[in-house]
Amino acid sequence: MTLLYAADEADALEFLHTNGCTDGLPVVIPTRERVDRMVLASGLDADLDFGDMGPGGGATTVEKIAINAVMAGCLPDYMPVVVAAIQALLQPEFDLSEVQSTTHCIAPLMIVNGPMAPACGITGSFGALGPGFRGNASIGRAVRLCLMNIGGARPGQSDMALLGHPGKFSFCMAEDEASSPWEPLSASFGYSPSESTVTIVGVEPPHSVVFVNDADDPDSPNRLLRSLAAVIANTGSNNASFHGGTVAVALNPEHVEVLNAAGMKRGDVQAELARLATNTRGHLRSLAPSFVRDGNPDDPISAVRGPDNIVVYVGGASGLYSAVFPSWAAGAHNNPVVHQRIETDQACALPGAS
Amino acid sequence: MARRDRAVVALVTEQFWPQGDFVASSNGMPDVPRLRLPHPVAGSGHDAMGALAERIAGRLVAILRGEQQADNVVEAG
Repeated sequence: MTLLYAADEADALEFLHTNGCTDGLPVVIPTRERVDRMVLASGLDADLDFGDMGPGGGATTVEKIAINAVMAGCLPDYMPVVVAAIQALLQPEFDLSEVQSTTHCIAPLMIVNGPMAPACGITGSFGALGPGFRGNASIGRAVRLCLMNIGGARPGQSDMALLGHPGKFSFCMAEDEASSPWEPLSASFGYSPSESTVTIVGVEPPHSVVFVNDADDPDSPNRLLRSLAAVIANTGSNNASFHGGTVAVALNPEHVEVLNAAGMKRGDVQAELARLATNTRGHLRSLAPSFVRDGNPDDPISAVRGPDNIVVYVGGASGLYSAVFPSWAAGAHNNPVVHQRIETDQACALPGAS
Repeated sequence: MARRDRAVVALVTEQFWPQGDFVASSNGMPDVPRLRLPHPVAGSGHDAMGALAERIAGRLVAILRGEQQADNVVEAG
């Protein structure tokens, strides 16, 4: 690491702003001592290199991740979550260089499962994707600063998102496992409930889906599914036009209970949403003829390739609104979900920490 | 293709010119030939795209043949 010197922290902050190392907001100055504590908390060697991060191709070392985690305001205990998220993003199938470079408004949504979520204060309930929660905010911000400072993503130069994405400041939440009638999302990828994981999918900001249950209406669960599917297949979106990508669906506890009471598990919901999320060829061609081949105008065109391309999890507080996160539906691997175990057995006890 | 010593030229629109510089540099090929196009090209219509193709074809071939310098090389002096 190159050591830089400033008269005081205010000067250091101005230096970081001037040199494009921040997200535009003030950061914690990454002093040698702070970075060392963060590295120590990871339990990993500072120079361990997870690979090059696109599009700039910077070497993704533990020390660089730690610098950005300090700047983001993370506590050292958060470091294993940040490291796991970075490892997930570097999986080749995530196509990180393309995700970072596209003109589309896509950002990596992080969903944390397991004991590390409450341990780090990562919430999955009220306002989980808004301000007010240090774990959510600083872990998501740390990942974004890594994407900028290691990956080289800079608006208008290498990050070509035309409008941007508010989740490019921070986009991290937990699955609300305590409010879920189902096994954790991570279990659907083969992890045990005792393992902590981060699941990442590149998506647009949340699109609200309003639904009021009617316990006297046996069709009520299907109305909920049709409402969610209609937003997944929202015409004008990339999913509708390009028929691919992986979307996320955050079901609030009230809504997930409607589906669970109807005997549906996560896989059933995924399958039904994939079946319902369609548009007719004629309708799509009336909007975007260059994206849809000519053919029978009554053909149903799916917005996703299959049930596995719909990440269903429990999040947000109980009430009228769940959310759909549409996706980019592009890249060499067509915008898949990735996941990574959070390694907590590497962590060290910090000197002086209680 | 450039790494395999094939003659190449990247067509980059005005709006994406800085990204072209970034991608070329980050891939270790800052001097890979690039030809600047107006923006936008997509959606400009059949006649406009045809006219643009007519306008640049000669220069594009000349760059590929090494008879002319690419725009990024000219701008770099």
